[in-house]
This record gives sequence, C-alpha cells and structure tokens, in this order.
Amino acid sequence: MTFLEALSAGFTLVAQWESIFFLGLGVTIGVIAGAIPGMSATMAVALTLPFTFALQPIFGILLLLGVYKGGIFGGSIPAILIKTPGTPASSATALDGYPMAEQGRAGEALSMSLYASCIADLISNLALIVFAAWLASFALNFGPPEMFTLIVFSLTIIAGVSGDSLVKGIVAAGLGLMLATIGLDFIAGTERLTFGSIDMRGGLNFIAVLIGLFALPEIISYMRKSEAQDHRVRGMGYSRLKWLDFRRCLKSIFRGSAIGVFLGAIPGIGAAPSAFLSYSEARRASPNRENFGKGELEGVAAAEAGNNGVAGATLIPLLSLGIPGDVITAIIIGAFMVHNLTPGPLLFLNNADIVYALFIGLIASSLLLLIIGSIAIRLFRYIADVPSNLLFPGVLVLCVFGVYAVNNSIFDVAVMLVMGVVGYIMLLLRVPAAPFLIGFILGPMLENNFRQAMLMSRGDLSIFARGPITILFLCLTAFSVVMIIRATMRAARLKREMATYAKTSQASGTQD
Amino acid sequence: MKTTLTALSMGAALATALPALAEYPTRAIQMIIPFGPGGATDLSARALSTPLSQIIPQPLVLTNRAGAGGATGSVAVRDADGDGYTLLLARVGSHTVNPAMNPNLPYTLEEFRFIGVYEINPVACVVRDESEFQTLDDLINAVQDRPGTVLYSSSGVGSLPHFGALMVLDAYGIGDLDENVIHIPTEGDGQGLTAVLQGTADFFCGSTSPAAPFIASGQMRPLMVTSSERLEGFDAPTVHELGKPELAALVGWTGIAGPADLPDDVVEKWGEWLAEAVQDEDFNRFMTTGGSIVELMSPEDSVKFVNDAYEIFRRLVVALDLEIE
Repeated sequence: MTFLEALSAGFTLVAQWESIFFLGLGVTIGVIAGAIPGMSATMAVALTLPFTFALQPIFGILLLLGVYKGGIFGGSIPAILIKTPGTPASSATALDGYPMAEQGRAGEALSMSLYASCIADLISNLALIVFAAWLASFALNFGPPEMFTLIVFSLTIIAGVSGDSLVKGIVAAGLGLMLATIGLDFIAGTERLTFGSIDMRGGLNFIAVLIGLFALPEIISYMRKSEAQDHRVRGMGYSRLKWLDFRRCLKSIFRGSAIGVFLGAIPGIGAAPSAFLSYSEARRASPNRENFGKGELEGVAAAEAGNNGVAGATLIPLLSLGIPGDVITAIIIGAFMVHNLTPGPLLFLNNADIVYALFIGLIASSLLLLIIGSIAIRLFRYIADVPSNLLFPGVLVLCVFGVYAVNNSIFDVAVMLVMGVVGYIMLLLRVPAAPFLIGFILGPMLENNFRQAMLMSRGDLSIFARGPITILFLCLTAFSVVMIIRATMRAARLKREMATYAKTSQASGTQD
Repeated sequence: MKTTLTALSMGAALATALPALAEYPTRAIQMIIPFGPGGATDLSARALSTPLSQIIPQPLVLTNRAGAGGATGSVAVRDADGDGYTLLLARVGSHTVNPAMNPNLPYTLEEFRFIGVYEINPVACVVRDESEFQTLDDLINAVQDRPGTVLYSSSGVGSLPHFGALMVLDAYGIGDLDENVIHIPTEGDGQGLTAVLQGTADFFCGSTSPAAPFIASGQMRPLMVTSSERLEGFDAPTVHELGKPELAALVGWTGIAGPADLPDDVVEKWGEWLAEAVQDEDFNRFMTTGGSIVELMSPEDSVKFVNDAYEIFRRLVVALDLEIE
C-alpha cells in the first residue's frame, strides 16, 4: 500500500458517522469521568475497554482514545471549581485555577483550560504524525541513568511552585519523597515502613494522597470559619476570557505543548510531571511571576498545555515500538491485541489504513474536545453558584466515594482523611502542598531509576555521565540550581533593603 | 399492552418462586483481579467475563485491587465470606512465585479453594534483535565466561520473569546466581521488555503473551520456549529439544479461586459455567493470539497443578537461597 492509498483508506475508515460517534462518545465519557474526583482518566479507559471488544477495531480504539483525551481535560474542571483535581495530571491546574475561581473568574479559567488543552492536544497529535519515528528512537535512548538525571532536573520545579518560601517548599518536597518510600522495596522486595499492615504493603494510593492534600484542607478550613461564609455564593463562572489575555498565554501554551510532547514520548513519565514542569517554566519566563499561585491565567494555561501535550505523544512509543508509555496506553495496547492488531513497527506495514485512520481520528478528537468541552464547561460552571454550605459537604461525599472506588478499599479513604489533616496543618503553617505532591510523584521514579542504574554499573557512579543526554540534564540541573539560588538571594537582599529603608525612614521621621 | 402484562405477571411469578429455589447465585458476584487494569491477568479476566456473563444468571462485577505483587487483592478474597460471591483471579505470580519466594507473605495456598485453572502461558526467553546471543548456549557461555556482566530484567521482585531467568540458568548448571547474573527489576512485563529492547538488560524470561508483538515485528528474538511443542510465531527450540524437560514446569497460569471455606455446590456450578465459557470462539481467539493455551482443569486437577508448581519453585528457592528477606 502506498502512502496515498493508505491515507485514503484511512480516511474512508474515519469518514463514517460511527467513527465520529464513538470518538464523541469517548470524549464525553472521558470529560464526565475526569470531572468526578477520584474517577481518573485511567479508570475510565479501563472501564470502557471491555465495551470495545465487540466493536470494529477502529471504532474501539477511537472510543478509548476519546475517553483518554476527554479524561485528561475533564480533570481540570473540579481542579478549578473545587480544588479537587479530577486526575493527578490536573493538580498543577488547581494551583492557579482555584484562586481564580475564588476571585469569581471560574469561567475565564475554565475556558483558558479548554483552549490550552485543545491546542496542546492538536500539537501533540501533529508531533505524533510527523515525528513519531524520530522521537521513538530518541525515547529508546532513555535508560535508567538518563531517566534519573531527567527526574533530578524535574525536581528543580519545586522552586517554581514553592510560593513565598523556598525552604518550606524543600521541606514539603522532602516529606513527599519520604512518604513515597512506604510499601514494598522495589529492588529487594522487603517491606518498608509498613508496620506489618497488609494495606501499607502496596504503598499509599496516589489518588487518596492527592485528594487528601488538595481538597480536604479547603473543607476543613471552611468548617472552622463557616458562619462568615455561610450562604456565600461565589456568584461567578460567567467571566469571559478576553482575546488579549488569551494571546498573552499563547507562548506558555506552545512551550507547555513542547514539554508535553517531549516527556510523553519517553515511556514511564506521564502527564503529571509534565504539567508541573510546564507550569514552572511558564512562571520562570513570565513577567507576572509574582502572581503565579494567586490566580494567574497563564499558570492555568501552562499546566493544561503540559498535561494535554502528553496525550498524543504517549502514542509514539506505543505505535512505533509497541511500548506502553503509561498506564493508560498499557490498557489501550490490550484493545489493539483483542482485535489482532500488533502495535509496533509492523502495524505501519500490515495495517497502514488503521494507523492513518487513527491519525485522522486524533486530529478530529482535538476538535471534538473543543466542542464537547465547551458544552461541559457551560454545564459544570453552575457548580460555582452552589452555596458553600451545600457545595463543601457534597464535595466531601464525592471525595470519599471516589477514593473508595479506585481500589474498593476503605484503607484508602483513611489515607485520604489523614492526608487531609496533614494538608490542613500544612495550610496553617503556610507550607505549600504542590512540592509535597511533586516529591510523592517523582520519589519512586527517582529511587527506582537510581537503583536500576547502580545495578547496571555495579555501583559505579560514572554511569550518570555515560552519554550526551545524562550530561545535558546534569548541566541543566546545575544551571537551574544556580539560578534559583541567585534569585532567592536577590529576593532576600531586596527584602532586607526594604526593611532597613523602612527603618531609616521611620527613624528620620521621628527626628524631624 | 397485553404482552407487557403477561411478562409482568410471569416476572412476578418468577420472583415469588425464587426464594423457594434460592439457588446460587441470587445476587451479583464480585471477581477481584489482584493486579492493575491492562495487565495480563486483567485482560485474561475481562476476556473470560464476556462469555461468562452470558452464562451466569447474575451480573459479574470485575474489580481491580492491585498492590504488593497481588497480595492486597488476594488477602481481600481470603478474608471474604466463603459464600461464592467474592472470588479471585489467581495468577502464577500471586499464587506460585510469590508464595515460594516470600516467606513474609500474609497468605498461604491452603487459604484458598481453587475452582479451576483455565489458562496456561508458556514462558519464552527473549533477547533484542541486535543481541550477540543467537542461541541459549551463547547466553549460558557468556554468563560462564564473563560472570556479573549479563543482565536480565523482570516485572518485579518475586515475579515469574524474576524466577524464570534464575530457573533456566540453574538448569544449565550456573551457580552463585547473585554474583553471576544481575537482576534489573521493573514494574510490569511491559517495562521489563522495554528494558531489553533499549539495551538496559540482555534478556527476559517471561510469559509469551506480552513478548509476542515484539517477536512478530522482529524487534526481539526468542531463544527458548517452555511449551511441549514449538509455538506458532516463536521460532525457538522447546525445552524438550534442548534436553531440559524439567523446565517445562516453568509456565504461567490464570485460574479462579475463592476463600478456603467455599461450599461444594458453588465449586460445582462454576465448573459447569467455566466449561461452557472456555468454548467461546472470541475468547479462544483472544487467548491464543497472545500465545496462551486455553486449558480448563477440574478443581482437583487445579489444586494439584498449583501445588506441584509451588513445590518445584519452592524447592529451587530453598536450594538456591532465593528467599526474599
């Protein structure tokens, strides 16, 4: 089959109303599932999988991809409205999205999140189509040493999400890293910090920690000062995104998409680190740096571009090498296998029509996401009008159900509640939650890749300088650290000067 | 209207008749998959549930309870009521390798009653296409000549690929395995195979199903399979051809089990249902595409099969001192 024949065959496959129907259905399921706290995109894809067995291959796969993309976007809706990230990937969105909602700018934040998602999604799909082969061979160069240096570099994003105090951010990240060590030791299989509990052997559930840390502290602080806020309607959700604001964020969206494509192509990283990296890069480059974390539109745009930029790119290792890049693509591989399609280089030879149909379908999915997403936003933003005394108890119930449903485990609910108290204490002490979460996400990757690399080299640290990739990331890390130290010292000096200036002016004031 | 009425009255008649029959099952049956969605166990379970749910008069609810190499889900079923409404998808990892290697496991095989093993996966040892190892002998020689330089990946500590590689090397008389070969654990078969593909590890000895696509595309080569006959698509000698028939015990399997106090009538019912379900064409096609062999064993045979596999693995674990501390 020539390229053109395959392309036209693929087009015929997609140009059936069923294709568009299943794609749209998938996006709808995904957006709704993503918007329910605790019901992550991964779960939605897993639950949809059995329904695809009976469908034609192309319809089944388009349905799953629709769920995937819808789910990643859907997670941002509760992240913005109720500070409860629907999927782990949207926790970076909550950092600025929720403050915006509190200021009555939920509509603006939601629209920004949708546009950033769709643009990043489209860029990611185009990258998949154009650069698949090239990016796949690049991704194969990422062994444990390369991954370790990349994760070390990613840890520098802690500085970008620490808020006022870098020290507090580092403390929080350290706690997150420590919490991630609970469970079975990855290399030796021994138990660590499990206190003999069977439930602790598997480690702490990610979703439980996430929801406990982000959503519950809000609810607890509402409970403690509820009279003042009772019946307070935030009365919002109708603010519109202005064209000028949108254009200001475009740079961050493109940067976030590129980060997403890059991290998505490397198997095993996932959307959450990408969202945080994109966010911290946007903050570093933005003239509105001070406003990040307090309701900055650009922060929402960067975070959403970062996580949706991953969506198309994770299909690169899947389609060109047959390797699942994350948990979701591992499930999608199952759908390929059910229909006797083998992901990998052979797919392009044997089933070129399916591959091109998939490509065309992916492009269509970005458009469908835009349409279905704007309908969803219109429906969901009424949540913003629900009075707090009704909204918060409802959120609490949803959180409990959602966390229970992940693994049908009451232990996970207990983890969520304990993390909620921890999160509230952190809130009172003004210790930021985002670095904690980053530590918790990256901790296992950091440790596992380091130890795998040490096994490979039999304990020789020089393996971390074995090639251009590791050296590049080590240099980038060193550069970032120097920049962070300089920026922190400058800020400290500025503060000191302000203080002395205030003192002297005060002193001179009394002399007069 | 008339038909609706008839249907309604018939339904009502049935409903009143039901308590008298009160035959198992009267409500939904929960099937716990102790591994995450998309894994080999999950796919196998979901493929089987499609024909099963047409046969069983009540809904089947498939639930993933992943964690700790299958221990979390397994313990949940062990502690459930033995009424046949909570069952487990038991797998070689959770019910053979892990019990054999990990003395601290919170459950034992005796705490489960097996209903039926329905799927067997042969194991294949694979290397990437550019590998210097053309045959298993090349690999063995390399381990002997250059101890400590050959690496193998697995899907985790106490997983089938972890144990598989060691069992193969042991069959070829390689001792002091801790020193002679290096184990790179990963999370799941997919990551383990990726490690081989990118050159982080040299070989992987695990179930044929996840390796099949890489073999078909020529990215990887099989060196050996543990099935009794040559496998379609795997151009490699069987363990019999290699003169190591004892390695035929190295196979993966999936089966259904319940808590130890599962009543006989439930086991009997499930025997009938499974016998019918494994005949399903779509199910068979799905399983054989992945390199699995659909083979339903009676409850007695299943127990014997699982116990025998455990004994062989356990003996080796003790002999080679592979216990996880």
